[in-house]
Amino acid sequence: MKEAAPAVSSPDRKDQAGPSLLSHLKSIAALVEKGVSTKEMRLMVRAVRNVMVIKRKLKPGSLAAFVKYVMSTDADSVLQFVKKQEEDKVSMEVDMPSQVSNKPNVLPELEILCYLLVLIYLHDQKQYKQAKACADAGIKRLQQLNRRTLDVLASRLYFYYSLSYECIDSLADIRGTLLSLHQTATLRHDELGQETLLNLLLRNYLHYNLYDQAEKLRSKSQRAESHANQQLCRYLFYLGKIRTIQLEYTDAKDSLMQAARKAPTIAHDFRIQCNKWAVIVRLLLGEIPERTTFMQRGMKAALRPYFELTNAVRIGDLELFKSVADNFSPIFSRDKTHNLIVRLRHNVIRTGLRNISISYSRISLADVAAKLHLSSDSAVSDAESMVAKAIRDGGIDAVIDHARGFMQSRETGDIYSTQEPQLAFHSRIAFCLNTYNDAVKALRFPPNAHKKELESAEKRRERQQQEQELAKHIAEEEDDDF
Amino acid sequence: MDSGNSKVLEAQRLYGRLETSIFARNFDSARAFLNQLKVKLTEFSGLPPLYRHTSTQVEELKLARSILEQAVLLSVGTEDQESFELHFLQLKPYYTDTRHLIPPSNFEYIMLGLNLLRLLVQNRIAEFHTELELLSPEALKNDCIKIVVELEQALMEGAYNHVLRSRKVPHDSYNYFINLLAKTVRDEIAGCSEKAYDFLTLDDAKTIFKFTRDQDLMTYISEEHPDWEIRNRCVYFQKVKDFSLCKEIPSLQLINQTLGYARELERIV
Repeated sequence: MKEAAPAVSSPDRKDQAGPSLLSHLKSIAALVEKGVSTKEMRLMVRAVRNVMVIKRKLKPGSLAAFVKYVMSTDADSVLQFVKKQEEDKVSMEVDMPSQVSNKPNVLPELEILCYLLVLIYLHDQKQYKQAKACADAGIKRLQQLNRRTLDVLASRLYFYYSLSYECIDSLADIRGTLLSLHQTATLRHDELGQETLLNLLLRNYLHYNLYDQAEKLRSKSQRAESHANQQLCRYLFYLGKIRTIQLEYTDAKDSLMQAARKAPTIAHDFRIQCNKWAVIVRLLLGEIPERTTFMQRGMKAALRPYFELTNAVRIGDLELFKSVADNFSPIFSRDKTHNLIVRLRHNVIRTGLRNISISYSRISLADVAAKLHLSSDSAVSDAESMVAKAIRDGGIDAVIDHARGFMQSRETGDIYSTQEPQLAFHSRIAFCLNTYNDAVKALRFPPNAHKKELESAEKRRERQQQEQELAKHIAEEEDDDF
Repeated sequence: MDSGNSKVLEAQRLYGRLETSIFARNFDSARAFLNQLKVKLTEFSGLPPLYRHTSTQVEELKLARSILEQAVLLSVGTEDQESFELHFLQLKPYYTDTRHLIPPSNFEYIMLGLNLLRLLVQNRIAEFHTELELLSPEALKNDCIKIVVELEQALMEGAYNHVLRSRKVPHDSYNYFINLLAKTVRDEIAGCSEKAYDFLTLDDAKTIFKFTRDQDLMTYISEEHPDWEIRNRCVYFQKVKDFSLCKEIPSLQLINQTLGYARELERIV
């Protein structure tokens, strides 16, 4: 035991932030304890948020000291754990949680907090193997517990559990565990855990491009209103991806744009991913994203290939499109958007045709083929069938004269003589009203605030009465004066 | 363990007969063999979803995979799309989940390509793309799959000539679906022509619809599109040109909307 003592303090001395970090950790533990005793979810959320704030500063020394502090009642396990530290700092960290779990007197919430802290630390140190072992132990312990006050901490632990498996590239192994955890969470009405686990499962499936399974799970699982913004963002992103693959572009666009908008500014890479997918979906829809999309701060470089791509689609130049797709093909394959880009070729042609039909009221099919850079033996008849399809799909409004071999654009009618502007106006008004209503619904009031309001209303009445009396007096006095 | 071995051997023997009868296009007996084999397969515990590690697991997996591959080919032979789907879905786990257990099959890309082609013919484009996402870049470069991907692209673009021209198939079994696709393409062309042309001469229509004889064209029109009119050796397409100019003010709808706004505004103020 004597040997062990300096071992604890030495890392503490090494890093200056040690003591203050420890006090930080203690304050988090206090928050958790208070949260458990008052059953207040918000305190737990705040505790987890505080963990996230200090996660970069975690040091093994203070972490060890904290675990020791948490388990202060049981000297034996502490002793073991401190001895271990001498041998190997890292292996100690993994073994430590198993010691914790043996302890009866410690709040389960604090136990899980310890798992979480160690897991975060190991992950940040890139000790993925140990992180995995620690996560396994933590999840195992979690499965034995059933306390609603755990939900917030548990959902973070699920997240790091999945992350540590992703880092060692064996996500497929935990699919079963995640599914059973999701089932448990659903049965216990643990909505936070439910949505976290659903997202993890979706991520798990999408990692292996299993869009079919992901969609089946998503459409069949219950989903309450979101509790955490991050989870909502992730869900929307995954949903957008699934819908893109299944060609539901309009819905996909909504989800992806919403995900990009709702994501916090700090989630930089996430927003880049959202934007990449959103750009492609909008292109597939035949829209051209604004230039500002690509000029957002810090995204310019990452979105560069997509910018070039947009440019090619905008001009409707097949040659340019092909060269862009070839040039950046490694990037597109990495982003898993390669197949989508193959789909885009059709849109390039469509845009090209639209440009032609706008610019010319009558053009020969041979010229159309030349402008689209079609270069096969039957280019003209290819162009003819493409134009025919574009007409049927409503991309362009024209008529083909087969005998004389040209396409003639139809006169476009006056849009203001239709109901179109009115409908657009209506949808905008409806959007604004919805936004307002949602904002009102999202307002939060402190508990019991309305009672205070009531009291002050009574007081106000009293005051008004007094004032009225005073006014009467004054008036009477004035009367007296005359 | 011996019994497991003998079971595998017996099934293998039966599989050989299944293969020869499919090769000889003797589908009735092939179906009988297949049914017997399916019963035998239920006794193998090394197969999905159990994946029990027995001494004969590798043999069992290989055999089951070959049987299902033959079953898919048999479905193509008997032109039964439902049984094709059923057998392919059974086969799929062998291509995805057993990679670490048995070497890839020679038929793998042919099967995957066939399935993609089937989805294309059935116009299940969303599923087509979902399947496509599962394929590795190497698979996409394989001829069996590349041809289907190009077909889909050509269909989307409207390059129908290209679709009909691609008669070089990587495997005989593709012919069945390619022929079906030709029919789909003709319907597509008909749908497009209806909108894009005011009229076509019969000769032009014949070339556009890829018919060789006038007679075929006439029967096609009378069967599929009786609303088209044939006058002076020209096909006139019925145009329903709905230039829905707003002649009347949709008063009821407007009143409803305005009342809605009023209600919402009242809540705000």
